[in-house]
Amino acid sequence: MTEWQVQMRLGLGAIAAALFLVLWAIPQWVSSPSNVQKIILSPLFWPFALAGFTGLVGLGLVLGGLRMTDDGNPVNEPTQDAGAAWMRLLGMAVIMALTMFLLPRLGMVLTSMLVFVATAFLVRTRHPVTAVVCAVIIPLVLYAFFAHVAGVAIPQGNFLRLP
Amino acid sequence: MSFLDSIAAGLSVVGNIEAFLALFVGVAIGVVGGAIPGMSATMAVALTLPFTFAMQPITGILLLLGVYKGGIFGGSIPAILIKTPGTPASSATILDGYPMAEKGEAGRALGMALWASCTADVISNLALILFAGWLASFALSFGPPEFFTLILFSLTIIAGVSGKSLLRGALSALLGLLLATIGLDLVYGTNRFTFGDPNMMGGLNFIAVLIGLFAIPEILAMVWHPTAHVGTARSLGKNWVTFADYRRSFKSIVRGSFIGVFLGSIPGIGAAPSAFLSYSEARRTSKNKENFGKGEVEGVAASEAGNNGVAGATLIPLLALGVPGDVITAIIIGAFMIHGLQPGPMMFILNVDIIYGLFIGLIVSSVFLFVIGSVAIRGFKYVADVPKRILIPGVLVLCIYGVFAVNNNIFDVGVMFVMGWVGFMMVRYRIPAAPFLIAFILGPLLEDNFRQSMLMSGSDPAILFRGPITWFFWGLTVLTVVAIVRAGVRAVRGVSLIEK
Amino acid sequence: MKFRTIGAVCALGLGLATAAVAEYPERPINMVIPYGAGGATDISARTIAEPLGNAVGSPLVMANVTGAGGATGSVAVQNARADGYTMLFARVGSHSVNPAMKATLPYTLDDFRFVTVYEINPVACAVSPSSGITSMDDLIAKVAEGGVTYSSSGVGSLLHIAAVMVLSEFGVEEPLTQTTHIPQKGGGAAATAVLNGTATFLCTNSSALAGFVANKQLVPLMVTTPDPVPGFDAPTAADLGKPALHQLVGWTGIAGPDDLPDDVADKWGAWMAEATADADFLEKMTSRGSVIELMDPVKANEFIEGQYNTFRKLVDDLGMRIEG
Repeated sequence: MTEWQVQMRLGLGAIAAALFLVLWAIPQWVSSPSNVQKIILSPLFWPFALAGFTGLVGLGLVLGGLRMTDDGNPVNEPTQDAGAAWMRLLGMAVIMALTMFLLPRLGMVLTSMLVFVATAFLVRTRHPVTAVVCAVIIPLVLYAFFAHVAGVAIPQGNFLRLP
Repeated sequence: MSFLDSIAAGLSVVGNIEAFLALFVGVAIGVVGGAIPGMSATMAVALTLPFTFAMQPITGILLLLGVYKGGIFGGSIPAILIKTPGTPASSATILDGYPMAEKGEAGRALGMALWASCTADVISNLALILFAGWLASFALSFGPPEFFTLILFSLTIIAGVSGKSLLRGALSALLGLLLATIGLDLVYGTNRFTFGDPNMMGGLNFIAVLIGLFAIPEILAMVWHPTAHVGTARSLGKNWVTFADYRRSFKSIVRGSFIGVFLGSIPGIGAAPSAFLSYSEARRTSKNKENFGKGEVEGVAASEAGNNGVAGATLIPLLALGVPGDVITAIIIGAFMIHGLQPGPMMFILNVDIIYGLFIGLIVSSVFLFVIGSVAIRGFKYVADVPKRILIPGVLVLCIYGVFAVNNNIFDVGVMFVMGWVGFMMVRYRIPAAPFLIAFILGPLLEDNFRQSMLMSGSDPAILFRGPITWFFWGLTVLTVVAIVRAGVRAVRGVSLIEK
Repeated sequence: MKFRTIGAVCALGLGLATAAVAEYPERPINMVIPYGAGGATDISARTIAEPLGNAVGSPLVMANVTGAGGATGSVAVQNARADGYTMLFARVGSHSVNPAMKATLPYTLDDFRFVTVYEINPVACAVSPSSGITSMDDLIAKVAEGGVTYSSSGVGSLLHIAAVMVLSEFGVEEPLTQTTHIPQKGGGAAATAVLNGTATFLCTNSSALAGFVANKQLVPLMVTTPDPVPGFDAPTAADLGKPALHQLVGWTGIAGPDDLPDDVADKWGAWMAEATADADFLEKMTSRGSVIELMDPVKANEFIEGQYNTFRKLVDDLGMRIEG
């Protein structure tokens, strides 16, 4: 991705988003009562205005991009192995999705332990033993603090119920 | 009653060891609470409230005020060290504080944060003591039209934190404004982008968005490139803020404090916009503008002065009018009422001893903040020495706990994750995150005050020009926009000259 | 240690449900407060937490789940397991005004089982002294002239319906078109709006106005209770000949999901009787202007249904219901 490509993608993306909002999302997902007397008081007015501005900014970005010359230098630092990097990102997305699935079922403490270990190994930590020890201790310490000092109802799991 | 009598009366209620002990403990609780993301100053104050029921009124209130002041400073510690603001007020501190930590100057950034906070705290307290009556009557002349113009002006901050491309800053701001429309409509109570989910009806939780936007992208960047940090210095080191740094930033600190006093005395704005406004003003007037956002110590000073300047001043509407300026002062009003005290003009007549006792306590609290803050920085500095690939999973787990604790809702954890990916894409596409955040805070205020003004006037736009305050802010807005456009045009010409 | 805990929990989980309830509560009860810290519901809930915790014999965990005028927290309890370990502090806004006004609400009154209503808050209407209005008659006369506005803490809040109901009781035929509603974010902002002249009047819990009235920043016009409220030098609804307004009061109660077992509800009845008898609690609440009135589950349900039906009728008559 070069600076020029970034600019053009942003511009076109903003225009597409504005069109999507105006043509589909706002009519579909913003409801307005039938008895609105003045258009500026309608719940629709502000979202439509924002969508319009987004379109204008998109146009501005595209015009700015047309004035630029493509220098061909890639932005964003290269990694040695882009394929592996994408796989790791995908892995992180899976971890996050699993977290949301497991939080109500396993409880926050067990889930956090798993998240800690998974993330530490995903970023290939140099201290695997420390990571595992921390993964057990940190969620427990946080649990003790939030549940007993701050009085927060930290979600408990179906299998393990901490005091 | 003369001024000296009032002070004597004040001393008679705070002149005991419990009052000062409560204040000291309060500041300590606040600093620790503020330093834990998601815990936030608000929650620390709410949790301390029940303990004050059994205390003397003044002791209990000083305890809460201590927590409040400590919390606002404490939030800057994780903002600088792990890019996760402990309270929303410290989000502006990230802009320069975290880059400084990355450069191995965490100690300098934290030290400056503390010095700026304490200075602003003193100025804010003095403003409260000297100008409470005057500023309070000023605050009451702020109706929706005045608010609308003030917020419109505040949105020009976006230009100051957009970095190189104003258009990308605007895009970021629009994204923030659009996401802020999620929830129930203010005037009609209808659904906007809620997709029938009751969790969406309350809108996106601000702290979840904030942490998602700043802390999670850092984790994703680590996942993307786990060894990027290897070889860069990232310890607290021996460096510490110097007096020369402080003197250089002094003007920004004082200006930030006054911005904080001004915005704090108007109910309903809060500390985060004040910090951003102070930051953008410091950047605008600084000689090394280029260095802002890359680890400029003056940026940290300005942000921290801006948010701590609010702390004393929010007590102005509270004491003089009985009006809470934000959630924290709303809780503190609760504490007054539990003790049978009713803040308002009559309190300055009926309870002079309490009022002056509070004033004395506030002055002392700045000193306590300095002492406890110095200790806390030394305690937290070890965070900077933790290996980064152990720190990152730890931050992730901390964020999960913290974001859940804000509203006891697992849905917010999901919001944080999704916003993390949005933030990561914004980093990759070189879109600045700060305008998003400012717009997300100010957008709803802008829309609500606009519509309230229209309701007041029966949709007559002339109300937006009533009185000198609105004219003042319209003038400021026009001046700023003209300046931005001129700077933008000059920049575009400059760029095209170089390119052609 | 950990394995023993797991074993114990599994044993409890495996079909010993009745035994578990018989020992109820064998772990801390999670109490959801659907409004933010420092609000009327929050203060009320945290004040009763202590005597109630003593009565229950196990700690109560207070959890503020805020958003959408109390709907987010209410839904959290609606969807919780009906084992008595997740209970809700229900409030007039979330459980009688909202269901009456909002067709889009994700719950109805039938989704909850009320175990008690323990606190009643009188409602008072007030104006700013600079408005020159000193009585309800003045206010109604002003309405006829036009330009009268009222503030509230949001659409579907008690303040919203209270203003409309008062106007309608005093003979204003079209309160929605003759006056303008200026919603604010929160009760504090609503009072400020009247202070600084953004809105003409507001009707809200007397406790929220007490400070302003004592400081002479606001002038009370009336209170909706049959008896006068201390500190409010204003006629009651009974004095003004509007007994229908007695229905218009704030309240706080405790509810669980609708299939809450009977024995759990019975236990709550006993606990509440003990907790509300606490002298310290009574003193704190009454000094804030609340009236402590303990209702058993049957009476609580009747009371809430009655208020809901009154509000629902008003909403339907005036066409205020939010459908979108």
